[in-house]
Amino acid sequence: MKKIGWMEKWTLRFAVVGLIFLAMSGFEGILMRTQLAAPDALNGMETALNAIRPLDHEPTKAELFYGMMTAHPIVGIYGFVYMLVMGAFYFLVPYLLKKEIRHKKLVPVNFWLHVSGVMICWLSGFFGIFNAMYTLYWPLPVYFDRVPLIPTITFIIGAAIVMVNILLFSYNMFSTVLSKSNPRSYSFGQFLRAAFGISRLMKWLGKEDENAPDLDYNGLPVFIVAVGRGSIDTVINAIVLLVAGVLILVYGVAALFGSPLDPSAVDALVYKNWFWWGLDMVADGNALMYTAGVWYLLIPLLTGRELVGRSVVKTVIMVDLLVSMGVWSHHLLGDQVQPLFMRILSGQLITWGEFFTMGLTIFASLMTIWKARPVKMTPALRFILGSIFGFAMGGVAGLIQANVGLNMVFHNTQWVVALRAHTFLLTGVGMMLFGVVYALLPMLTELELRSKRLVDVHFWGWIVGSVVMAYVMGMAGSQGMLRRMLYPHPNPYTPYTVIAMGSGILMAVGFLAFLVNVVTTLGWTNALSLVVPERWLERKAETVAA
Amino acid sequence: MDKDEKTWLGVLIAIFIVFNIVTLSPLVPWQKWMLWSDQTPDERIAVEFQDYEIRLPAEGVEVKTGELVEFVATSNDVTYGLGVFRKGGTMVFQMQVVPGHENKITWKFDEPGLYDIRSTEYSGPRSPEMFVEDAIQVVP
Repeated sequence: MKKIGWMEKWTLRFAVVGLIFLAMSGFEGILMRTQLAAPDALNGMETALNAIRPLDHEPTKAELFYGMMTAHPIVGIYGFVYMLVMGAFYFLVPYLLKKEIRHKKLVPVNFWLHVSGVMICWLSGFFGIFNAMYTLYWPLPVYFDRVPLIPTITFIIGAAIVMVNILLFSYNMFSTVLSKSNPRSYSFGQFLRAAFGISRLMKWLGKEDENAPDLDYNGLPVFIVAVGRGSIDTVINAIVLLVAGVLILVYGVAALFGSPLDPSAVDALVYKNWFWWGLDMVADGNALMYTAGVWYLLIPLLTGRELVGRSVVKTVIMVDLLVSMGVWSHHLLGDQVQPLFMRILSGQLITWGEFFTMGLTIFASLMTIWKARPVKMTPALRFILGSIFGFAMGGVAGLIQANVGLNMVFHNTQWVVALRAHTFLLTGVGMMLFGVVYALLPMLTELELRSKRLVDVHFWGWIVGSVVMAYVMGMAGSQGMLRRMLYPHPNPYTPYTVIAMGSGILMAVGFLAFLVNVVTTLGWTNALSLVVPERWLERKAETVAA
Repeated sequence: MDKDEKTWLGVLIAIFIVFNIVTLSPLVPWQKWMLWSDQTPDERIAVEFQDYEIRLPAEGVEVKTGELVEFVATSNDVTYGLGVFRKGGTMVFQMQVVPGHENKITWKFDEPGLYDIRSTEYSGPRSPEMFVEDAIQVVP
């Protein structure tokens, strides 16, 4: 195996920690389902944990459940997904542009800030019982008789660290892409104009600005275009969440010093629109664009065939960016006070824009594979195909719920969180990220995977587990089972919950097979070198040799 | 864009048009009175949410099948959800109850019987307690 370089090592570190966060998030998922299916099964663990929880009272089962539920998506999305995305992009962007990361010192800063921020959020929820959920609907997070004050402040500080860190990461990405170390460099303004297709629009209107560089025309790899355009959504998401966090922090600090502020000073509906506009950029913006970019990059690499519709896909990504700015009302379809035209236009019709962008992306990806036949079904390609399936399945579920009529019976049910969100995240994004790890591992280490059988166990365990889990909980949702509801036991939804638990365990088996395969492929020394300073390992090797 | 892509785009456009026309049309029963009619409700029921409680009219809620009922929900603290459920647990309809606003929804029950109300939005750790059994009686 070649000596792993500095950047490659950081990429692997991001991946390792991201996978640990995935394991944590999955473990929490199984704990929550256990609490739903057999409320007393966790009594022993809860008693032990309560002994070290910094609380002034014995927390109720509901407080524990909702504290865990608040921590769960932060660890899953900002811990697992963002860590892997950062690691992969820190390697791929300079690799494809053939230049170095612009600010190398920011790489370890990003790593440690992100780990710290996510862990502070997790501790605030899991141990501090902060329970306002990631949606932070105003004014719940500042009702301190329902949500504990100090953990609210620590959670917001943790979330702020994560958001600032995401802004730093995006700055490093933009500054690497835009740096003037090659002839295709751009100012930030030029980049934004190109990202939103302004120069293309001007050309279409007969007013071509020949000096305006356009990412569509200047030959940048389509993956870089996707990273650039997706990162615009990433930045907006981070800024919006930071503003909401500052607002909650102001109320929290005022309450801490005995001068509580009036929550009704902020209109709950305006806040909800603002918050969802920004929060939705993760799901309907950068997740889709980053994923499209990764498919566009890996599928031609893995099949050895040029991407079908190369000229179209950059436009598709641009349209996706524009669409992502206008779809947030699909989260407010249950709000009858949201103007009807907003619910129909933004909530339903513009949301269908993603049907077109993802539909064309999936078409280009599958046609590329089809035309490249016979293709070698490598682990990475299998997982990319699995992720395409996940996005198709989650996308259909999403369009059904993002409907003014049908949302009446789907809003806030398990349909939303299982069949749509978890299919997107676990089958879609999760399998895409596993595909990236399988593709990058030989590039970073020049090693072949040790066991094909373990890849099979990983693939089938993960895809069957995640699909069955999402499907049964989606069916429970169609039977009226709400998300975020700790139903008394027994309840009519227990059989669905038990099957979902079994599916989660199947995913865990697949995940363990993956970890064993990766660690045995790397070898223990190399795996340890990611987390232990190299000089320690060298010293140990010298001692053994002596 | 080559021929295959154009064909596929055509398929996507056709699905978009058909799905949206059908789901916005009166084929979805409640769209008849929500989108396609200006009918004045036959009855108005005020529901108040506060401090984890769902407060219904003191005299109870009794409505007739086929009657257009308007539920007007208000919250005096945080966001809740007004969800009406059949006895088996399936949902009839729901809406968010946003504080500082009058949240209105009209409904026409087509089956007589007893219906439960549950808050469908998380409002704090005691949310699961927000359940009113047999809250609505629908008579023929």
